[in-house]
Amino acid sequence: MEAIVRISNLDKYFDRLHVLKDISVDIQPREVVCLIGRSGSGKSTLLRCINFLEEPSHGSIEVDGIRVAGGEKGKVHRQLVHDVRLKTGMVFQEFNLFPHMTVLENVIEGPVIVKGMDRKEAIAFAEENLDSVGMLFKKDEYPMRLSGGQKQRVAIARALTMQPRVMLFDEPTSALDPELIGEVLNVMKKVAKDGMTMLVVTHEMGFAREVADRVIVMSDGQLIEDSKPEELFTDPKDPRTKALIDRYRTGE
Amino acid sequence: MNLFNKETGQNKSQAELLYQVQQKKKFIFRRNVILSWAGLLLFLIFLFSGIELRSANRVTSISAWHFEIVTENDVKVRKRVERVLASLPVGLPNDGISLKTIAVDNEFIRNNSNFVAQGIVQTIKISALSIMLAIVLALLAALGRLSTNPVVYAVSTFYVSLIRGTPLYLQIFFFFLALPQLNIVLTGLWAGVLALGLNYGAYMSETFRAGLSSVGKGQREAASALGMTPGQTMRRIVLPQALRFAIPPMGNDFISMTKDSALVSATGFVHEIMWRATKVGRAEFRNMEALVMAAIFYWIMTLLLTSIQSRVETRLAKGDR
Repeated sequence: MEAIVRISNLDKYFDRLHVLKDISVDIQPREVVCLIGRSGSGKSTLLRCINFLEEPSHGSIEVDGIRVAGGEKGKVHRQLVHDVRLKTGMVFQEFNLFPHMTVLENVIEGPVIVKGMDRKEAIAFAEENLDSVGMLFKKDEYPMRLSGGQKQRVAIARALTMQPRVMLFDEPTSALDPELIGEVLNVMKKVAKDGMTMLVVTHEMGFAREVADRVIVMSDGQLIEDSKPEELFTDPKDPRTKALIDRYRTGE
Repeated sequence: MNLFNKETGQNKSQAELLYQVQQKKKFIFRRNVILSWAGLLLFLIFLFSGIELRSANRVTSISAWHFEIVTENDVKVRKRVERVLASLPVGLPNDGISLKTIAVDNEFIRNNSNFVAQGIVQTIKISALSIMLAIVLALLAALGRLSTNPVVYAVSTFYVSLIRGTPLYLQIFFFFLALPQLNIVLTGLWAGVLALGLNYGAYMSETFRAGLSSVGKGQREAASALGMTPGQTMRRIVLPQALRFAIPPMGNDFISMTKDSALVSATGFVHEIMWRATKVGRAEFRNMEALVMAAIFYWIMTLLLTSIQSRVETRLAKGDR
């Protein structure tokens, strides 16, 4: 099968700091991939490079047939980045809902403004997605009135309403109170079950074990392990992976 | 205090009772503030009432001074006239003491209040035009200030520095009196609008800048991730949030601009409140009456604007929650 996301020889520098070192990964359609690693290992940066919230220094990203080389400028490059962003949906750690818009307005903003979708059509589609994350009952509320878990569910609906081919999750539960993590993970499981390709940066080992098809471990800007969760959690090959998993076990 | 909650049919909780006490305290405080305001206002009115309390020559009296037109040697003159309201045949000997308040020429105020009030339209016109210009300039200057382009940044800071470093009074005269030397002749109104707009634009750019930087980086990232262009992100996501933050201080600027529009009267060609007040005041040497009148008009205008502003503010705060 043709890969839907293809990261080739990706390098990222912040000034002299080399945060991603020659990374190449393929992700197949409908695959759920979890990225784990200690903080500062570069996993969030890698995720943000895929939709060019961080501009890669070298290498290329290909999403659903659109290939964009990093480190370039100009109109053509901007158009390609825009096309890639339309193919990817992103969910942030801090939710980043628009506080001046109601839940429904948040969700239809992208389709109406970016895609030029008819407002009525967008509302119908948005309500469908809000319903599937269980947030339709709050559609006329402002984000201020929602709990963290509710905000994140709305953010997922917002990303889904753009009909992306790939969903990127950047530590979606790290800013949540422990009792609210479950509702967000349940929604993510549902999205995975519906056949969405997902790339999830997370510290939730339970989620990775249960839902992921593959788990990628990062350390110092490199991929140190890439295997099925059952192998990775029972028989980690790299000692750094073992240390990481042990830390989570004892930490919990 | 009522310890029973009618709605739930239960005794009130401690929190409810505390809340009640706090609300009552707040209410009493607010009532006392309003009463004090009324007292101060009455005192001010009394100060200009022309009433005199006197105890001299073994007579104590209350009298009211006012102005009347009397004919002296076939010439009509306005004179201060005393009318005794009440007196008692006891009091201090000789000169005694007297407490005098200021007597204003009611006749003059009656005759000229209409003329001065007609300036309100001009004052509002100058302020409204200037604020529009100021908002545009402030927004551009604020965006320039946040720009990564060094030339744009320099233009913005240069403008703000130059305008804030020179007096508004000078700027008005510059546009009105200096520009004609370059064959650019502006009417008093446009010279005033240009000067006020440029001046307040420079001051308000700080407010706008603060508003723009109050919008977190995450908001822009979320918009970009949805595929919005930088222009769409600015218009749909950043500006609405920045404006909500900037509107209360903008209201303050608008109010103080309304008052600063009085400086435009110095050109002599804009017939707003201040120009009209000084004109009639000087003509009849009734400057106090004329200026008090103008002050009242300005004060009423700012009171109205303040109440509008606080209403807008409450509405904005609601959307926030």
